Amino acid sequence: MKRLIGIALGIVTSIGGFLEIGSITTAAQAGADFHYQLIWAVVLGTICIALLIEMSGRFAAVSKHTIADAMRERFGLHFFMVPLVLVFFVSLLVLAAEMGGVAVAIEMVTGVHYPVWALPVGLLAWGLLWYGTFSVIENGVAMLGLITIAFLVAALQLGPDWHALVSGLAPTLPDKQPAHYWFIAVSILGASVSPYLFYFYSSGAIEEKWDATYLGSNRIVAAVGMGFGGFLNIAVLVVAALVLAPRGIHVEKYTQLPLLLSSPWGRLGFALFAAALFITCLGATTEIALALAYQIAQGFGWNWGEDLAPRDDARFSLTYTIILVLATLLVLVGLDPLKLTTLSMALTAASLPVSIVPFLVLMNDRSYLGEHTNGWLGNISILVVSVLASIVALVSIPLEIAGGS
Amino acid sequence: MRVCLVRDILDKQLLDVTNQNAGKVDGIVLEMRPGEPTRVHCIEVGPITLLRRLNRRLGDWFARVDAHFGEGRGVPIRIPISRVILDSPSLRIDLAVDNLPVMALERWLRQHVVARIPWS
Repeated sequence: MKRLIGIALGIVTSIGGFLEIGSITTAAQAGADFHYQLIWAVVLGTICIALLIEMSGRFAAVSKHTIADAMRERFGLHFFMVPLVLVFFVSLLVLAAEMGGVAVAIEMVTGVHYPVWALPVGLLAWGLLWYGTFSVIENGVAMLGLITIAFLVAALQLGPDWHALVSGLAPTLPDKQPAHYWFIAVSILGASVSPYLFYFYSSGAIEEKWDATYLGSNRIVAAVGMGFGGFLNIAVLVVAALVLAPRGIHVEKYTQLPLLLSSPWGRLGFALFAAALFITCLGATTEIALALAYQIAQGFGWNWGEDLAPRDDARFSLTYTIILVLATLLVLVGLDPLKLTTLSMALTAASLPVSIVPFLVLMNDRSYLGEHTNGWLGNISILVVSVLASIVALVSIPLEIAGGS
Repeated sequence: MRVCLVRDILDKQLLDVTNQNAGKVDGIVLEMRPGEPTRVHCIEVGPITLLRRLNRRLGDWFARVDAHFGEGRGVPIRIPISRVILDSPSLRIDLAVDNLPVMALERWLRQHVVARIPWS
């Protein structure tokens, strides 16, 4: 019974935590500019993150190691530093984008320009981490994130053309703006396949003391939770295609985003959008700050644990404090949250092989996983997607910045 | 049991007698004496050894700064190999890490930073 509740809770938190500023923005841009044509990218990203989440949960449950811990141990200090530094800087940009998302949500309600909210948002996230426990953050915040089901309701109510929607499942070449099309496609992949997530997930599995008996529930939570999360992401794209595209609105300013829900539902929709953005971005903020602190603490062998009091893991707690300060400064200088979001998602995609290849090597190491190593299908699909995403990102980022299409 | 120093010892997690994380094995020191067999002397833990592996000058600079913090600081922290026990998936040391300089920074931060933040 306890295990069943655990599975249900895991699924609910995966769904509630799936959307954040990156997936909302990239799906909205895709729907506004290319109707249903990029649905395949959302589906591909969802499948990849479900596979990766299952793998990192399995790794932690069987080997009793977190990913960061094992990377240092297996590859040595020098090689460990490469993904550490790269994931750190890319995730710091993503973190700033998420904090910007929380600040923008407050701006939507109060009318006060978002950089003003950088400091309160930083303090709020820090307070949750410093005084809260792992389950408060993981369950509480992600549970509130279920408000994002509003996107699914809106999509169904607006009534998509199901035939066109299904045809978007197959990748096709665009008939206009090819560079922009591929840029958005990789940004969508970068938004769903975030390397910080598997550092976070494996650490959570260790904090909750998983063992090999959790393998089944781990698989169900990853497949069902991430699967439904992917549906919400598709719903955002569909709503954008039905609401933004007919009016010729291209998502160029963050102030256009609430139209997704305010068009069908008026003031209530506007409030719902602001609430959804606030809660999901706040959840992602705490997850990323924790994930980076986990990665550093585990890589250097410190005491760590969100359930420990800060006095028992001072270095760990002060690491996420410093990370939040750095990201707060990035929001404070007024970097445009929308540009920061799309750029950081594309950079995440570009850097995928650096974080994913060593991860896959670990997933095939019998000394950690025994008989529970990866199958060939999982290996090949993740490898191909991450390498392709990286190549396309490296080509399309300069083109997008240059404004070519 | 055959143990490979780099594969099985270097960069491994260390736990102490109280189950606290005691850092990683950042270095291994061999003892070579003329006419006698080589043997493992001790392991090294801590930022001085770690930084010297990345960049010699960076590590030396850190050691000079660290030396200002009191007696016995400014040199790599060494743990005799006789104190290291294999306890899969980690290595265990039969010492209390709280008494070692490994935790000096942790202790300092706990007393001077964390303690000043209300309700911590």
